[in-house]
Amino acid sequence: MTRVVVPVAVLENEAVSFGLMNLLGTMDVTVLGYHVLPEQTPPDQARLQYEERANEALADITEEFREAGGAADYRLVFTGDRAKTVRRVADEVDARAFAITGATGTVDRLLVSLSGDVAADRILEFVIELVGDREIGVTLLRVADDEETTTLADAQARLADAGIDARTVLAEEASPLDALLAAVPDHDAIVMGEQAPSLQSFLLGDVTDRVAAGSVGPVLVVRQPPSEQG
Amino acid sequence: MPTGDAPPLGTNIEGEEPDVEPTVETDEATYTDDAELERTIGLSGGLAIGIGTMIGAGIFVFPGLAAGQAGPAAAGSFALGGVVALLVALPTSELATAMPKSGGGYYFISRGLGTLPGAVVGLSLWFGLVFATAFYLVGFGYYAIDTLAVLGIALGGQYVVPIALVFGAGFTLLNVTGTENAAKLQNGVVALLLSILAVVLLWGVLNAVGLVGQPSTPERFMPFGPFPVLTTAALVFTSYLGFAQVATVAGEMKRPGRNLPLAMTGSVLVVGTLYVVTIFVATSAFESATLASLGETAMVDVGRHYLGGAGAVAIVVGGLLATMSSANASILSTSRAIYAVSKDALLPRWASRINLKYGTPHVALGLAGGPVLVLVATGRVEVLAEVASFLHLVLYGLMCVALVVLRRDEPDWYDPDFRTPGYPVVPVLGAIASFALIGFMRPLSQAIGLGIMLVTAGWYAYYARDVSLRGAL
Repeated sequence: MTRVVVPVAVLENEAVSFGLMNLLGTMDVTVLGYHVLPEQTPPDQARLQYEERANEALADITEEFREAGGAADYRLVFTGDRAKTVRRVADEVDARAFAITGATGTVDRLLVSLSGDVAADRILEFVIELVGDREIGVTLLRVADDEETTTLADAQARLADAGIDARTVLAEEASPLDALLAAVPDHDAIVMGEQAPSLQSFLLGDVTDRVAAGSVGPVLVVRQPPSEQG
Repeated sequence: MPTGDAPPLGTNIEGEEPDVEPTVETDEATYTDDAELERTIGLSGGLAIGIGTMIGAGIFVFPGLAAGQAGPAAAGSFALGGVVALLVALPTSELATAMPKSGGGYYFISRGLGTLPGAVVGLSLWFGLVFATAFYLVGFGYYAIDTLAVLGIALGGQYVVPIALVFGAGFTLLNVTGTENAAKLQNGVVALLLSILAVVLLWGVLNAVGLVGQPSTPERFMPFGPFPVLTTAALVFTSYLGFAQVATVAGEMKRPGRNLPLAMTGSVLVVGTLYVVTIFVATSAFESATLASLGETAMVDVGRHYLGGAGAVAIVVGGLLATMSSANASILSTSRAIYAVSKDALLPRWASRINLKYGTPHVALGLAGGPVLVLVATGRVEVLAEVASFLHLVLYGLMCVALVVLRRDEPDWYDPDFRTPGYPVVPVLGAIASFALIGFMRPLSQAIGLGIMLVTAGWYAYYARDVSLRGAL
């Protein structure tokens, strides 16, 4: 089955919403409990002090994921660099996507962004498997640009074949991020592709993190295929 | 590596046992039974720790003092120190790649030679780093006075110690409450420093060899004979205390098998070259008697000599940054040294507590910063430097010994990625040179150093006699 990594700042009492747990019921889940440390603190020193407490909390969260449906396990990492840790663990467990937790109730409609240079095939494949035979609607969003706009229709047809009811939105906003955030109302969770780091992401932070900050609900980030990762 | 039947580790007087867990190391992380530790420091980060710790002293504090003792041949003293540092850096690299864990030199000696040498070295390293930090802070105080002088605010030398005290307390506090961006700042500071030095030194060299400007000061190479070259080498060896600090973050280095040896030997080569060039440039600008009278901040006048006011400003700014970065890096290393011995039950476990609010080891940082302030108050630059060197040299010598011992037995777990070239000559020479340099120090420094070692041995006998660490991985 397809695996999703769910990073959780376990010692800062980050919670995973019930809605996200149920949404991921069709997936295998690796709960990645992490704790970010400043450079003054060797990770091992934090492990000595917090390992037990963190593992107890992680075991509880993982049990809830199991009850929601899929197989679930957990890892605990003490790190100075959250992004590197998520990347490494996702690689090691061969995860298709990772989650950014957020608050949501039951998920009725997903917002799926196909804007920009993302692996649309992988995203659609992931959405089909995620939704499964559940009554979850999908909105496909793409920013209008010079590229052919048939992608949206193709994507809609592909989802329809899988029995998923999909709407399409061709956004007029110039920025994919603004378009995505403008479309968030009426949706319970976002699915988007991982984007290559750019100068902008270096200055302003990862696009995915900014989406997560701008919307309240959870975000599922579909990873680039392994060969295309930098 | 996991071993089936681990020998008993024993407990200290409070009944605490060393925390030793089987681990699996990869290039990207350390895996313990129940958790993973991410490796996040790259080669540039390692070089920044090594260079950033060392560069403050050698260039910005010692040239005047060293030239006053040995004349232009002080360049030879720095070169000699660099060779000794390199002889130790190679064996240290091998040990670090075999045991890529936080704790550095202490860890290698306690595992290779046993608990008593481990305890003496581990606790002495704490004090050695405290002396080094105090020395850097006093150097910082001199540069702060000179900076104010350049800005037109004339303060007397009596303000050096108060300034050093204020900033010492400030750095400790910043490290307790600070954010995670200090490492990036440190990389930037080191890059800026190297740029400033490259410009000033290049211009100085062009001057000194007579390509531009007026010819240099003619002076005999060894005006005081060869012996001061050796005693000066012992004094300025403090400028090389830093490469082994890279090993204290061995557990956090990415690709440790490659990056640890490169960062350690690389930082010694970079700073060693800069030191020798600096002395050459300084002694070409002024006679050694003049340099000696200029004292700790002689380089400011050297900068002014070659590049006018701009040169003086560049050196003053560089000196502030460099001594600051050395002091800060040393406080961080001290905290790690305390953690390493506390983890092994040689100090109470509470010494390595961290607070959840900032995630920083406030107790260990306090145990680093507190004694530093006491020593800064003495204001004795040369004694502080020599005692720091003494305690580090004992560590360095014993690391070389530990390498020889481990290579002779080659226990199953000993599998370094990097093997010292020129074994056994390099570690044997490294050990001899390290212990020999101690012999050239002034008696007061030797007495203080020996005293500290005896106290740490006494502490071991009282507190942790029953702890057994040899081969406990």
